Amino acid sequence: MSGTWMTTRAWLLMLPLLVIMVAVIGWPLVDTVRLSFTDAQLVGTAGNYVGFDNYTNMLTSSNFSRTLVTTTWFAVVSVAAEMVIGVLAALLLNQEFRGRAVLRGLMILPWALPTVVNATLWRLIYNPEYGALNAALTQLHIIGDYRSWLGEPGTALAALIVADCWKNFPLVALIALAALQAVPRDITAAALVDGAGPFNRFRFVILPYLAGPLMVALVLRTIEAFKVFDIIWVMTRGGPANSTRSLSILVYQEAFSFQRAGSGASLALIVTLLVTVLAVAYAALVRKTAGSAA
Amino acid sequence: MSALEIRDVRKNYGSVETLKGIDIALESGEFLVLLGSSGCGKSTLLNIIAGLAEATSGDIKIGGRSVLGVHPKNRDIAMVFQSYALYPNLTVHRNIGFGLEMRKVAAAERDEAVREAARLLQIENLLDRKPGQLSGGQRQRVAIGRALVRKPQVFLFDEPLSNLDAKLRLEMRTELKRLHEMLQTTVVYVTHDQIEAMTLATRIAVMRDGRIEQLGTPQEIYNHPATLYVAGFVGAPAMNMLEAVVEGGKLAIAGAEARLELPGHYANAARNGAKVVAGIRPEALRLGSGSGTELSLPVEIDVVELTGPEQVTTARVGTQRLTATLPPQVRVAKGGRCAFAFDVEALRLFDPATGKAF
Repeated sequence: MSGTWMTTRAWLLMLPLLVIMVAVIGWPLVDTVRLSFTDAQLVGTAGNYVGFDNYTNMLTSSNFSRTLVTTTWFAVVSVAAEMVIGVLAALLLNQEFRGRAVLRGLMILPWALPTVVNATLWRLIYNPEYGALNAALTQLHIIGDYRSWLGEPGTALAALIVADCWKNFPLVALIALAALQAVPRDITAAALVDGAGPFNRFRFVILPYLAGPLMVALVLRTIEAFKVFDIIWVMTRGGPANSTRSLSILVYQEAFSFQRAGSGASLALIVTLLVTVLAVAYAALVRKTAGSAA
Repeated sequence: MSALEIRDVRKNYGSVETLKGIDIALESGEFLVLLGSSGCGKSTLLNIIAGLAEATSGDIKIGGRSVLGVHPKNRDIAMVFQSYALYPNLTVHRNIGFGLEMRKVAAAERDEAVREAARLLQIENLLDRKPGQLSGGQRQRVAIGRALVRKPQVFLFDEPLSNLDAKLRLEMRTELKRLHEMLQTTVVYVTHDQIEAMTLATRIAVMRDGRIEQLGTPQEIYNHPATLYVAGFVGAPAMNMLEAVVEGGKLAIAGAEARLELPGHYANAARNGAKVVAGIRPEALRLGSGSGTELSLPVEIDVVELTGPEQVTTARVGTQRLTATLPPQVRVAKGGRCAFAFDVEALRLFDPATGKAF
């Protein structure tokens, strides 16, 4: 069979997929770009060309900058906490003890739950009238009265971060646990004989094997945290007083609640650009980590 | 005082007995090789000495001090692993000095010790590299350097040469011998390679099924194997084992016409009518009908394999097989009838029921 025919056949086989991808990804993307340069409404007029107005309006609005800060704060704190808790959980689950297999299985549960279920559970826990957190904290005399954790701007974001951590640390733990299996037993033994304590064993023996896989987890989790929508939407809808509003929620509000399709599209593209920059920067970092570990 | 004393050490994993009572006392400067096939318990014993595994019962003393329950770092030992076990993200310099760094030895003193070890192992030019940039042989030198630099009472080696190719293994073996003769350190060395054991050891402990089958110098192990197992395990090609019966002061080889004169020192050991196994090393056999104190067996040549320095010749004595390593210039051919002669001192007799030497 000639090479040309092989190439033609390959393209033919991929054609249906290409058509679907162009239809559901390519075209909407191109149309979003087109929309972002118009003042189109969600329903009604097709809109007029307005140049970069949508972009300049968005980037200079206080809504955008405030939401960017909230989103960054949410992403940095929750991902950092997930990494630390995930690695600690993996180290614990890598020890030999009775019931380890069961505990390893149980640990996956929060991550396996749909986000909406997870968010609803945490809303119950934070409930200002009958929530478990209020009950526990008053019984321990840490707080005097029941509080509305999700209803106060001061605590809502923190409460969300806790819920997000609980859901996502198992992914980090799972990746770290898999990486820990690859640490050669001999090196750990050598470090013991050399007199390295637990901290130095972690730093010099375990961390080099964890760094690469953890970097992948970090990339995945940061990008996801940056475009977070569902957990916040179910728990606070971005409130109170927009204190938990993420960029994705701002896009949603702009395009659907306020029905400003053009300006919503420009915001969506700004978020996409930010996430792409993050992804590219991380990819470079991953390559560097993988290179130095080898 | 012994440098290392192992007293009645036992190890059980659940209902499986991995070590069934090991007793060894090692003087300072001795090179003990634990030799055995995989699963015989030799690595378990080494890990127990290192403190990486706990003995179920028994005692281990290093420099006269019991080390039961003592952390590996406080046992005054250093260990070299089969997989080198170098820290991948540290330079060779830091790898070698790691034990001293962890013990908070001052940087200048540490540097001096590292350079001294590197000089001994001829790896001074590699000190700034990372393990990933080294060959297998170089990595093993670094691993040995890491042990040397600590100047411990006892060095433990866990099959350190098995990951190297044949040529490098030979080089490193000579290197280890040179180092041991120079530094006169006490070593416990685990291997399944009998040549390594014979060449390096001052004493060998041949292990089998969690027991020491024989503990002795390489010469004792080779010339006077205590059991059929040791006789078969040490030596390549393996010792010939001919089934025979004692008949009126002679050995009647089973399945053959041949009769051998029973050596005087075995006269009282094996009574008339007893079944025995006659062991003769292939290297002890030569072509000829024997003279003086020599005995001989008529054989028919079956297979001749020229290895270069010798001809491994397999022959038949009646229904039994006999292997001889003959010089390459000797002319032997398949189907030829001749006789193999050997010195009476080379004959070993074993009790087939107990497997022990008479």
